[in-house]
Amino acid sequence: MKVLVPVKRVIDYNVKVRVKADGSGVDLANVKMSMNPFDEIAVEEAIRLKEAGKAEEIVVVSIGVKQAQETLRTALAMGADRAILVVAADDVHTDIEPLAVAKILAKVVEEEQPGLVLAGKQAIDNDMNATGQMLSAILGWSQATFASEMGIDGDSAVVTREVDGGLQTIKVKMPAIVTVDLRLNEPRYASLPNIMKAKKKPLDEKTADDYGVDVTPRLEIVKTSEPAARAAGIMVGSVDELVAKLKEAGAV
Amino acid sequence: MDFEISHEQRMLVDTVRGFIKDELAPLEQQVEDSGVLDDATAHAIFEKSSSLGLYGMNIPEQFGGGGLSCLDQMMCEEQFGHTTDILIRRAFGNVYEVLLSCTGAQVDRWLTPAVKGDRVCSIAFTEPGAGSDAAGIKTRAVRKGDKWVLNGMKHYISDGAFSDFFVVTAVTDPEKGHRGISMFLVDKGTPGFSLGRDQQMMGIRGTSHLDLHFDDVELTDANLLGTEGEGLKLALSVLGRVRLAQVSARAVGKSTKILGLTLDYARDRVQFGQPIGDFQMVQQMLADSAMEINATRTALWQTANKIDRGLDPRADISALKVQGGELLDRVVDRAVQIFGGMGFSKDLPIERYYRDARIYRIFDGASEVHRSVVAKTLLKGATDLYDPWSN
Repeated sequence: MKVLVPVKRVIDYNVKVRVKADGSGVDLANVKMSMNPFDEIAVEEAIRLKEAGKAEEIVVVSIGVKQAQETLRTALAMGADRAILVVAADDVHTDIEPLAVAKILAKVVEEEQPGLVLAGKQAIDNDMNATGQMLSAILGWSQATFASEMGIDGDSAVVTREVDGGLQTIKVKMPAIVTVDLRLNEPRYASLPNIMKAKKKPLDEKTADDYGVDVTPRLEIVKTSEPAARAAGIMVGSVDELVAKLKEAGAV
Repeated sequence: MDFEISHEQRMLVDTVRGFIKDELAPLEQQVEDSGVLDDATAHAIFEKSSSLGLYGMNIPEQFGGGGLSCLDQMMCEEQFGHTTDILIRRAFGNVYEVLLSCTGAQVDRWLTPAVKGDRVCSIAFTEPGAGSDAAGIKTRAVRKGDKWVLNGMKHYISDGAFSDFFVVTAVTDPEKGHRGISMFLVDKGTPGFSLGRDQQMMGIRGTSHLDLHFDDVELTDANLLGTEGEGLKLALSVLGRVRLAQVSARAVGKSTKILGLTLDYARDRVQFGQPIGDFQMVQQMLADSAMEINATRTALWQTANKIDRGLDPRADISALKVQGGELLDRVVDRAVQIFGGMGFSKDLPIERYYRDARIYRIFDGASEVHRSVVAKTLLKGATDLYDPWSN
């Protein structure tokens, strides 16, 4: 089975985000960029499937600016076999919207014929949580979102999902799309030999035009603003006082 | 001239940095408190690091090492500086380049097992009467028939308790001064070779510093590393890279880590109604530390690049030995000052960093010795040491 893993280049989760002066978005110039952490979990899961003999080949794909090549190389250094870069923007500030990404991915799936698409549940930059679901709708494939555990059982995937109020285990027929959640696994470090090997692994470069997909944004960002600064706290003298204050604030 | 960090370098440093943060840093306090790293933990971190290819990265690939360029190695060594000496030794190995002089059967007996981490090696040059003056050793090896008989003692031998074998310098021809010194590979357990006491130190807890005693230890030519009488020359030719890695690069890493903690504290600590980072005298210390770290790192990369180009920049390495050691000394001293009472208290690791830092101006040749190398090289006319346009 071939596994396709879409990965997104996003602002590193450790970076303190700054909003651009004109409010048009987050400043990404000269900022550390990394693979979306949920996508890292998806890559890790794909590698584990391969190590367990359930998958033969892992293809990673990224859609965005040319620099996403680095994100793909990181996935290759973790253990993916092959990469496809779809250049769809020149400016690092351009975010390709989920529908356009899903349309391009659908074309990649048509070409690659994977048995499974493993994707992060969402990207940490815009938290859309939509691409996997849209891809499922376009392809007419089964989907299992928010996976915290998964296994392959014949031609089905058994996926435990983190839902409000607990866990739900479902069985979906493959080919399928599984979007992964935080607790599925802990991604490995890229080893030194794999970092060296990653340079030599194939990376195909395409453009959105090659797939005939229009990536023009459908959404308009009206305003981006910093979260409100936290108000100063107060020191309370006793538990009773704390409870009284909380009641006052309507918190209990 | 390309100053951009490559994506491979970033991935490598991310792995090393992440490994140190997740696997090694949590062990530091426990080693500090007990004074030892237990064998089971040592083995566990070796296994993890080794499976990532992080052990012996400095050794060329054909000998089973990571094959890093000198520059890439320095980037990793800078990260090593974020943790403690003993954890670096166990996780990443101190596989000395001098072992690359192994020939014939020596390769399988000493070099290969050292690179794999099956056997651990210590350098044993220092004696009570010979520290920076490496040629002043008294340990003698006398040829008797087809044997060598080794007598004498070494001290402050780092990691001696754990090591399986030692690279020992000994006088083989007293008439020839520094050209009469040879190097021997001596296995622990060789009859006549005994371990002395573990010298307690101000810092670097967890790493043993042993006396070694050689009492009529019989060796053969198979133990001779390199050719007879070339010991010191050979050692000096490869120890430069070790010095750059283990002193300069690690000092830059330690300084970087300490400045990060100091900045956090300067932002958070409030006195007289404002963060102490708002006070100009504190600001001066912070700015000076950052500027000095950057200057030293840049010089370090430049010197590493010279080594990668096949040059032998001994005086640059001496300069960086001094710069690294003294950089760390200043940065950690400012950290203690800015942390104030908390910097002196054992509740925070700042006082440990302070104690661990002091040796950087001493070991591997004291600052004074290396400064003197720099000055003598300058006086001999090496203008390129400060003026790259001069030749």
